[in-house]
Amino acid sequence: MNTQRILALLKMELYKIIREPAYLFLMLLFPAALTITFGFAFGDPELGMSFNFMVPGLFAYACIFIIMTVAQSFADFREQGLLRRLNATPMSSTDFIMANILSNMILSMIQVTIVYVLALLLGFSSNSDSLGILFAFLLMALFSLSSVGLGLITASISKSGGTATALSFIFILPQMFFGTFIPVTNTTRVIAGFLPSYYATDALTSIFNGDNLLSANILIDVAFIAIFSIAIVILGILFFKKYGNK
Amino acid sequence: MSETKIKPYEKPENIINPNSEFSIEVQNLRKVFRGKKGYDDVIAVDDVSFKVKSGELFGFLGPNGAGKTTTINILIGLLKPTSGIAIVNGYDIYDSISHIKELIGVCPQEPSVFKFLTGIENIELFGKLHLMKKVEIKDRTNKLLEILDFSKASRRKTKGYSGGMLRQLNMIISLIHDPKIAFLDEPTVGMDPRARRATWEFIGSLKTKSKTIFLTTHYIEEAEALCDRVAIIDYGKIIEIGTPQDLIKKYEVDNLEGVFMKITGRRIMEGV
Repeated sequence: MNTQRILALLKMELYKIIREPAYLFLMLLFPAALTITFGFAFGDPELGMSFNFMVPGLFAYACIFIIMTVAQSFADFREQGLLRRLNATPMSSTDFIMANILSNMILSMIQVTIVYVLALLLGFSSNSDSLGILFAFLLMALFSLSSVGLGLITASISKSGGTATALSFIFILPQMFFGTFIPVTNTTRVIAGFLPSYYATDALTSIFNGDNLLSANILIDVAFIAIFSIAIVILGILFFKKYGNK
Repeated sequence: MSETKIKPYEKPENIINPNSEFSIEVQNLRKVFRGKKGYDDVIAVDDVSFKVKSGELFGFLGPNGAGKTTTINILIGLLKPTSGIAIVNGYDIYDSISHIKELIGVCPQEPSVFKFLTGIENIELFGKLHLMKKVEIKDRTNKLLEILDFSKASRRKTKGYSGGMLRQLNMIISLIHDPKIAFLDEPTVGMDPRARRATWEFIGSLKTKSKTIFLTTHYIEEAEALCDRVAIIDYGKIIEIGTPQDLIKKYEVDNLEGVFMKITGRRIMEGV
């Protein structure tokens, strides 16, 4: 692993997000549009569902979409012969994947900031102090690791960028329906228990409710997110090194 | 009395022969792609042996599908051979590929550049991957851009580049770190005649800087004009090797195309 190489690749990844309209829309404008839509649609308490209840799910939802962009980006790079070209340099796969993890962590921070600021403007109120908010942001960075891992797995089994986009929904949809802003029932909670987004949303809900950051509920959620994220990203790296880097 | 410990001999960083006069040594190299169910195996490289001297411009000549790119891909570590020996700058490809990657520059057949970056940003990225300093990258980039008359276009995003421009950038990227050995895989395909001539001149100029160049091409005139020696490959086998002049003389023909035709009964360009 080499810092100069990782930083050079990180810069390239960040340029991609800024300069490619599709990525810019999906990563930054989409979470913003979603927050505004939900803010206006559920801002009225008479509807029965409060916007406050949905904001933690929106945080997680924004980060889930990293699966699609990572999968598409890696598959595109492979299709365009860029991975082969990079592999012919002294760069290691670890340098490349590390740069991707860092760029997506930065991205998740930006996404969460957009969602948070817009939610506040639309009437979201949190009982958490600034330390709690900072903790929520860091938790999302950790959660984004699992999305990078799932993106790598998707890219490894996809032959093209288009296929990767479609296949990424295998991981996006369950996390969206059973682990974000859609309320879980006793039945769906069983499925949700296997999804990191459920724990991320649950932890954020507790944080925004003003619970103690060291409470058992939050710590258990954090432990699950950490275990899921690290296991998935390791699995993603192994998958990608074996099948996806050709 | 205490025993004197003798330090075991250590090979300098896995190098096999640091004083070898050859940059590339290939012996009985073979690559078989296993056919999927119902399909036959494909022998892409079949018992190929050759040596390339340091500072030599070596041409690997043959029709499409002859095994040129597969051979390059093995030598640069992108493919594992089925059997055989391959040594690059004294390093074995099996256990020292990371050392090899530090010494080589690779210009792939299909131009692969990041479309959302400008030409210069692409060059800088690859310079940094080779751990060059910022000043070094800038100096070398300016030099290469000037030689290939590419300075103006390099400031634009590569998305709008023509095929020929992409190929020129492709080659600049591969040479940014001033590699000891350059693998140029069909570097001039799709270039207009002017750009092709400029590239030829540039490749020729590398020879004077004691660089070893491994050039694959199916352009006969390119090989004849540039190469010190050529190997002609067909269906994965090397069918002839020598200087262009010696081969032309040996087969009593006008050019290398004639050599290929005399041996195989086909034209090299037929497979293109």
